[in-house]
Amino acid sequence: MLDFAPTEEQEEIRKLAQSIALDHLRPHARKAETERDSPNELRLTLAQTGLTTPFPEEYGGSGPLEAVTYSLIAEELAYGDPGLALNIVGSLMGPLTVWLAGSREQQERYLPPFGNSTSGYLQRGSLAFAERTGGYTLADIHLQARRTSDGYLLNGTKRDVVHGQHADLRVVLARLAEHESESAEGKLCAFVLSDAQEGLSIQAEEEKLGLQAAPSATYLFNQVQLPAEALLGEAGSSGVVRAATLYQILRAAIACGTARAAFEYCSAYARERIAFGRPIVSYQGIAFIIAEMAMKLDAARLLTWRAACSWDRGEADETLIYEAECAQRQAVKMAQAATTDAIQVMGGAGFMQDHPAEMWMRDAAAME
Amino acid sequence: MIDFTLSKAQQAARDYAHQVALEEMRPLSLECDRTEEIPESFFWNMQRRYWGGAAAQARAYGQDEGVRQENLLSVISQEEMAWGDAALATAIPGPGLAAPPILSQGTPEQQARFLSIYMDGQLHWGALALTEPGIGSDVAGMSTTAVLDGDEWVINGHKHYITNGARADLIVTFATIDKSLGREGIRPFVVPKGTPGLIVGRIEKKMGLRASQTAELIFDNCRIPKENLLAGRGERKAGFKAAMGTLDATRPMVGALAVGIARAAYEAACEWLREELPAGYPPHKRRAWEEELKELGQEIEMARFLVWRAAWMADRRIPNSKEASMSKAYAGALVMKATATAVRITAPGEESERKLLIQKWFRDAKVFDIFEGTAQIQRLVIARRLFPNIDIP
Repeated sequence: MLDFAPTEEQEEIRKLAQSIALDHLRPHARKAETERDSPNELRLTLAQTGLTTPFPEEYGGSGPLEAVTYSLIAEELAYGDPGLALNIVGSLMGPLTVWLAGSREQQERYLPPFGNSTSGYLQRGSLAFAERTGGYTLADIHLQARRTSDGYLLNGTKRDVVHGQHADLRVVLARLAEHESESAEGKLCAFVLSDAQEGLSIQAEEEKLGLQAAPSATYLFNQVQLPAEALLGEAGSSGVVRAATLYQILRAAIACGTARAAFEYCSAYARERIAFGRPIVSYQGIAFIIAEMAMKLDAARLLTWRAACSWDRGEADETLIYEAECAQRQAVKMAQAATTDAIQVMGGAGFMQDHPAEMWMRDAAAME
Repeated sequence: MIDFTLSKAQQAARDYAHQVALEEMRPLSLECDRTEEIPESFFWNMQRRYWGGAAAQARAYGQDEGVRQENLLSVISQEEMAWGDAALATAIPGPGLAAPPILSQGTPEQQARFLSIYMDGQLHWGALALTEPGIGSDVAGMSTTAVLDGDEWVINGHKHYITNGARADLIVTFATIDKSLGREGIRPFVVPKGTPGLIVGRIEKKMGLRASQTAELIFDNCRIPKENLLAGRGERKAGFKAAMGTLDATRPMVGALAVGIARAAYEAACEWLREELPAGYPPHKRRAWEEELKELGQEIEMARFLVWRAAWMADRRIPNSKEASMSKAYAGALVMKATATAVRITAPGEESERKLLIQKWFRDAKVFDIFEGTAQIQRLVIARRLFPNIDIP
């Protein structure tokens, strides 16, 4: 039955995430941008609340993840700072992909370090999704895996891999070519990379437009040989689809949080700023821009929630793929417009680094 | 709990309305648009189908589910009906736009007295008379007056753009009892058809929605019983609240109609690309159109969700002015984009029924950015709700 209200429990979790966002993310956003990472204290705080350990309790987590709940959390974190939110979510996607797509044995091997109550917060995961030839849609995943006698051979690229340069757990999405024919698109699959891998070149992406607080890397695979056990679960399984679509949904939620930050910030500014004797928001030319922002933010958030709901209900892979892609595409597009308009509302002040609006506009652009 | 799945009642309402749209509306669509007439048989078919079969089933499920959902069931049905034909959808017998003010502002006695006439199985309509030649969104400037003379209200004024105005059995008419009070002097009155002094003026010729009847009404010393004033005379703001409350309920429905037309145009454009593409059509152009339609499909879903959310809030009695305006503004802009895109995509094709329908939807679409508050008024409503302490003139 149609319903648009979060549960009381979700509302409490959302409020917790919001207070952390306002107390620990927003004030450190510029510093994190310069330092290009999240401070350990922040990660410890988050780990203590259980917000960053959404895996089953048997692996030390705080209970398995629900996409709707986590979308609410991701939006709040991004409302604090989009870069730090992506830093946190990007890290989580490593262990989460193992949990969703991996075998029991693989879960037992890779998850406990992340759930460790004293050192888990220091662990960094990563999930390589986008490539040099595309964006965040599953159809753009082409990294090729071929079966060999003792494992798999990988060729292709990855980009924008959050924590790719220093992750403790590196997971990559690829296509397993079942037959020799080059044309057929292989089954979606996920591999765990180990540290030193011959043929794999990892380059940190130093000069990013935005989202600097989420350090990222490019991977170049040139005949990289992986052992058979590197494949998480089975190729073409729903688990891999669920991991990939979860990342899209959470990226959409981050885009919504980014837009909301910009919307609220420029609203407060427009309320205070006086021009020609009146607050500028009392002019329709400004008020309409902000009304439009609010409307499109709500629209994109509903699309994101819809995909998250389907994920929680365990809908068919095709449904998840379609809905998660819609959410990610529309939310990112909306966030780009909202952050750009926020600067416009603020005029010259919006362009200055004294205000975070210019950072959010770069962040939203860097979500492609 | 956030949930985007339809309940049994909601699914039944959608299926039923879709079937009606497909069987009763689409086949008549082009002809009714051309002649600006609707055959009597359509009204009777709608009357019969509404009270029987699947619609009754949907209402029964709705009661079983134990939550208020009449607004949601209504927007779900409206989208399907507009997918069939939005002009015909506005002409379906029933109290229509007269119902919300009677329900929100009428006493139980008034509700029973006025709404019972719609239950007798005959053909009856209702209408809402708000707009005047001199006022649209600015209802405070209303010039139609109501003066109490003994046991009767005497109404004088001029209303236009009234949907179903000439066929309505009851017209909820807004008039001012004291011009010096501005919008606080506005009250809703129920004027029955055939009241002496109620004169039907011209029927408008329009760009689109041509089969929908848009009438001018003149009130020339039109006398109605004292008991036909909705809400007591002492209740300040009641009249204005009724006008605005009506809009909070009807804007999501207008949004739903817009979504229905947008979806019809989107589907037709997709079908045209699949089935009617002329030989030699450049593949790169086809791919570009497919991309554009994909985007459009996603925007249609967002519009629908905004509509559903606003209706859901109305059912839960959560104040929804802002969200109602969002749904209307978003859907109003979207339906123009969708129909214009469909016109552009199918332009090179031969004349066909599909193309004629697309052209009709294009003409129908524009008014969705205007009636029940223009796009600009919706933004004003949203902005005023976002900034309650700031005067946004």
